Amino acid sequence: MYFEAKLNGKKYKVDVHEDKNLWKISLQQENQDWVHYEISKNDYRSAEEYISFLFNGKSYLIDVVGQDTEYTVYTRNSFRTINIFNDEMLLHESLKKGGTLGADTQLKTGMPGKIIEIFVKTGDSVKAGKPLLIMEAMKMENELRAPNDVKIKEICIKQGDSVESGAVLIKFEK
Amino acid sequence: MIEAPFKKILIANRGEISIRITRACRELGIQSVAVFSDADRESLHVFLADEAYHIGPSPSKESYLNYKKIIEVAVAAGVDAIHPGYGFLSENSLFVQACKDNNITFIGPTPKNMELMGNKISAKALMIKAQVPTVPGSGGAVVSVEDAADVANKIGYPVIIKASAGGGGKGMRIVRADHELESAFRACRSEGQNYFADPTVYIEKFINDPKHIEIQVFGDTHGNVVHLFERECSVQRRHQKIIEESPSPSISDEIREKLGAAAVRAAKSIDYVGAGTIEFIFDNKTKEFYFMEMNTRLQVEHPITELVTGFDLVKEQIWVAKGKPLSFIQSDIKQKGHAIEARICAEDPVTYKPHPGKIRACRHPQGPFLRVDSYAYPGYEVPIYYDPMIAKVITWGENREEAIDRMQRALSEFILTGIKTNIVLHKTILNHPTFLDGSYTTQFIEKNFEVLEPEIFKSVEDPVFLIAAAITAYQDRKSKDVRRYSVASNWRRTGRKIQLRT
Repeated sequence: MYFEAKLNGKKYKVDVHEDKNLWKISLQQENQDWVHYEISKNDYRSAEEYISFLFNGKSYLIDVVGQDTEYTVYTRNSFRTINIFNDEMLLHESLKKGGTLGADTQLKTGMPGKIIEIFVKTGDSVKAGKPLLIMEAMKMENELRAPNDVKIKEICIKQGDSVESGAVLIKFEK
Repeated sequence: MIEAPFKKILIANRGEISIRITRACRELGIQSVAVFSDADRESLHVFLADEAYHIGPSPSKESYLNYKKIIEVAVAAGVDAIHPGYGFLSENSLFVQACKDNNITFIGPTPKNMELMGNKISAKALMIKAQVPTVPGSGGAVVSVEDAADVANKIGYPVIIKASAGGGGKGMRIVRADHELESAFRACRSEGQNYFADPTVYIEKFINDPKHIEIQVFGDTHGNVVHLFERECSVQRRHQKIIEESPSPSISDEIREKLGAAAVRAAKSIDYVGAGTIEFIFDNKTKEFYFMEMNTRLQVEHPITELVTGFDLVKEQIWVAKGKPLSFIQSDIKQKGHAIEARICAEDPVTYKPHPGKIRACRHPQGPFLRVDSYAYPGYEVPIYYDPMIAKVITWGENREEAIDRMQRALSEFILTGIKTNIVLHKTILNHPTFLDGSYTTQFIEKNFEVLEPEIFKSVEDPVFLIAAAITAYQDRKSKDVRRYSVASNWRRTGRKIQLRT
């Protein structure tokens, strides 16, 4: 199965092939050569609530959280969020966003919280980095800023709303 | 067996500190009563106490800060004392008075102690009288921009404007030149009004790049006051401490003695009762120290003092509240070895933004010379309403090196998934030359960790993350029918596990 993945701003091509006792995984970072890994299923197996992954002589306890196109992998007090798409998902994402992969057409929240103040209204043009709204989560007020120069298409929330993680707050014109 | 000082104590707090106090109660043979808001029904402090009562909706204002409701519950439950923990009502003199009016002992200082130290302007005046060094400044409230300019020009830039009732980094502005003064002055006043219902501000000389060193003090109702040495708390992000250690690596025994004596003078000057902390700004270049403020309560970082001195501060608080004299005199108190605390927060380790959510896996570190005060457990949903700190890891060593190595070891064992935590940041800090040589200041994180994202995460190679994500994505797409139940992610996990077993 072929995927495209993004990790920490770097793009990868990923190929996953499953045998009876083996995972064959190939990774190609943009502008670099393919690297092929063969991982015995004995080296990548569930243990308690985690996955025990023996890789290059190192032992990792791994937990993967996520679905569809976004997975967060936790191990060794570290974590990474990886965006991963296969052909079908790529198509779906590009239709949804009406642009290329990764185009920012909306402001989403990564955590649940409460909307304290909204600084913009529909039709406003906002420069990159300017504040759009303030959201309170865990005693702190967090300012959410415009990711690029944007024009506000729709504001999906109002002051005082409580929002769930992943909720779309503001939609931008393409 | 000694008779217990109280029959039943209500703990007007939540999370790890509520559990800490429950533990002290249990060791003393006292019944403990927990309180909880809507969001905290499943918080560990509720499970561990002997009794637990609901006190209101999730926002603190309507529950943990609603002292009338808490007193009501305390009376109904028949408690004879209340411990406030830290934060929330711990420094609210109205609450102390309400306890008194209902014949309930408040475990903490007197309302008078709190009032004297709660207002930063009057506290500073008192300290000058007690011959405790203070930072040069306005010496009182500054009410107009013109007055502010006069003071600033007299003491010289840079200056800092502070809301009198402020704290936790709110209501503070550094001003480096005349033209910045007016807007900073207005901002501080409005923040003071908004956050603390008091627009009063004052001005002080801004000490550039200082250390934060504080002294634990303890007083009783018999006029005794002692100190339990210092804690250095200069590792801060967003003006909040995240790593503390005792002893401080950067003060000599001579300065240590001076700090201790100044802190005792400060506490004695107000007849202080109970556990308190005198915070000092320490200029590492001139070796001068200045009184910053007194916290009239137990501190988050009290465990490191407990580990180096061997005294249980919470039990001592309870005995002092009962009216017993302190169980130790100054010469009994020694610093033995070295202790470090790391505050584990549910937050992004790079942006420091809170990251509440559901904990999946959770396994706490174990082993020698290690203490973990935590309320995390697998499946627990960290609520959005409160402080993001979910655990404290505290290690002890014969010396600083051993305490640090032990902390690294402990953090490596800590498994916590499903939410982002700052564990990886802690590990990076503990390995940083400026931390290791002890020269770090309160600007350490700002200066060194702004653009260090790849550094922080370099302990694990990228392919590990990519391979794990790719295998999961592959399995998810193979079992699409199962994947649809995305809410019940256990289905997906089970499906994934079954595949792994084949």
